[in-house]
Amino acid sequence: MSLLELRDVTKEYQLGKTTVRALRGLDLDIAQGEIVAIMGPSGSGKSTLMHILGALDVPTSGLAKLEGTDLASLSEPQLVTIRGQRIGFVFQTFNLIQTLSAQMNVELPMIFQRLPRKQRAQLACALLERVGLGDRAHHKPNELSGGERQRVAVARALANDPEIILADEPTGNLDSESGSSILNLLKTLSRDDGKTIILVTHDPEAAEIADRIVRLKDGAVRKEVEHV
Amino acid sequence: MFRDFFLLAARSIAHRKVRSWLTIIGVFIGITAVVALISIGLGLEKTINDQVSDVFGVDTFIISPEGTFGPGGAHADATFAIDLDHLRSIDGIQEAAAIRDETGFVQGSPDEAGDSIKGLLSVVGLSPELLTDFSSFIGDIELEPGGRNFTATDRNVAILGNAVATRLNATVGSTIEIEGQPFEIVGVVVPGEDDAAGRQSGGMMSYGRTTEDTIYVPYDVLLDLYGPADSVLVTLVRVAEGTDVDEAADRVETDLNERGADIMTITYTDISDMVGTMMSTISAFLAGIAGISLLVGAVGVMNTMFTSVLERTKEIGVMKAVGAKNSHVWLIFLIESGMMGLVGGAVGTILGLALSWGASALLSRVFGIDIAVVASAALIAITLAGSFALGAIAGLWPARRASKLLVVDALRYE
Repeated sequence: MSLLELRDVTKEYQLGKTTVRALRGLDLDIAQGEIVAIMGPSGSGKSTLMHILGALDVPTSGLAKLEGTDLASLSEPQLVTIRGQRIGFVFQTFNLIQTLSAQMNVELPMIFQRLPRKQRAQLACALLERVGLGDRAHHKPNELSGGERQRVAVARALANDPEIILADEPTGNLDSESGSSILNLLKTLSRDDGKTIILVTHDPEAAEIADRIVRLKDGAVRKEVEHV
Repeated sequence: MFRDFFLLAARSIAHRKVRSWLTIIGVFIGITAVVALISIGLGLEKTINDQVSDVFGVDTFIISPEGTFGPGGAHADATFAIDLDHLRSIDGIQEAAAIRDETGFVQGSPDEAGDSIKGLLSVVGLSPELLTDFSSFIGDIELEPGGRNFTATDRNVAILGNAVATRLNATVGSTIEIEGQPFEIVGVVVPGEDDAAGRQSGGMMSYGRTTEDTIYVPYDVLLDLYGPADSVLVTLVRVAEGTDVDEAADRVETDLNERGADIMTITYTDISDMVGTMMSTISAFLAGIAGISLLVGAVGVMNTMFTSVLERTKEIGVMKAVGAKNSHVWLIFLIESGMMGLVGGAVGTILGLALSWGASALLSRVFGIDIAVVASAALIAITLAGSFALGAIAGLWPARRASKLLVVDALRYE
């Protein structure tokens, strides 16, 4: 059974008076431990797909299953739990909380899961160590470079040890060197920890690390390429 | 978790320093006003009560013409006659004394040329007991050397105010005439030190008139001169030990009213109640006005929180994406607005107390009025809790809006 399974998924939303059909009958399977790159031009439905894969939103019709559970059948609190425990997000613009130190940013998802303070601090430090920022724990985001911020974001995504890392254009705001190192980091996470990594990207280099590239067009999968 | 939310809220407040402080200023102006008013109001009430209780003690009450006290004002023409001996015979009454005020035709001592001044002057009859048993009411009357107070057996003797003594050319030992009867001067009052007008501050005997111009004679003598009292200013009554002063006062009032005297009794409780009512009315009125500034402060908090929610839409989206429940987001924002209220409350309490201490010191220095400042732990605790609640209530609506944001919309927000 696939970890994530999408069947004939459509998603419509209202933008003013017009109805936008962002996804139009999309099918997709993602297996445990895979690195999947989702590519496609703007407006092809990448972000919407990402929202559904990340349990941030539910389809208008069709099935979206996580380990066989239909996400549409879950209540909002249940979706919150899934987001908090099973999925980690990495965003293009890092989206760190500016008022908090790197360590507190990493601890944030653990706070919402009510982990004890001490355990949280240890885990956050270990995670920052892992992404190579052990000495930056007490820096605020604006004291860090772009690459470092994205590393903090990756550490935050790993906070509650989720199975899935969803990365939306993780290299989009980085120079190529920082970008590469982030991609390497994600690759390691898949290889060493068995994380399932889903990358939404324009970046051909990012696609390089993927096991499989899914190309979207007009809200549906145009082509899937196994990457060797 | 709460502790972490407090930390998150505090960080956010600290991050937006200027805006937070402006908001907090809006809160603490109102709190300062409320704290200062309450603390001065309570202090004033306490001061008045203390002074009244110093004068009255626990065992004394006043008999006064009906309507001189309390709402409705005095009818100046109210007259009544009180028989002190009858009063003393009422159950539970230990001592009674009275002050009676008449205008008498007075003739001074002759000067070297044998002339003497004649005219109408204020003649006040004092029970000798007033000087011995009720001294707290009349204050200390200090006599010039060689003078003495009345004794119980004195009849035709007088004590003169300083000014009137000079005018009548009288000193201790000389004789003046009141309504044609001779009176020996036994004392002359030393001019008051408190102020130039010679007004005896603190004493009730002066009744707004200067002691300087008054002729004091024993109370009973006025009976001979003018007949039964129909213009007694005030009668003081002390109850026997172990007698409830309020009950005794009721008994006396009923008794005397039955005998046709149009009087009322005033005990410490009556005055204290009236002071309390008056002060609470004034306090409530002033607090109401201060309350308006609190309302404005609360609207300021609400405004800041709405701006904050809007500004941090993306942050809210991120928190929700990493596992924050709606209730978490709600709580974080509520704590944030509550904390702004609390800081405003703390600053306001300090400033409010400082203000009332300052006002009290100023009154004491400039006017010589000592007003206690009441700064009880309860007042401070209630103010702090109330200001947190004020902030939190002002933050309810913005916090609700933050918690209801859809995560997808919030993340997309630029």
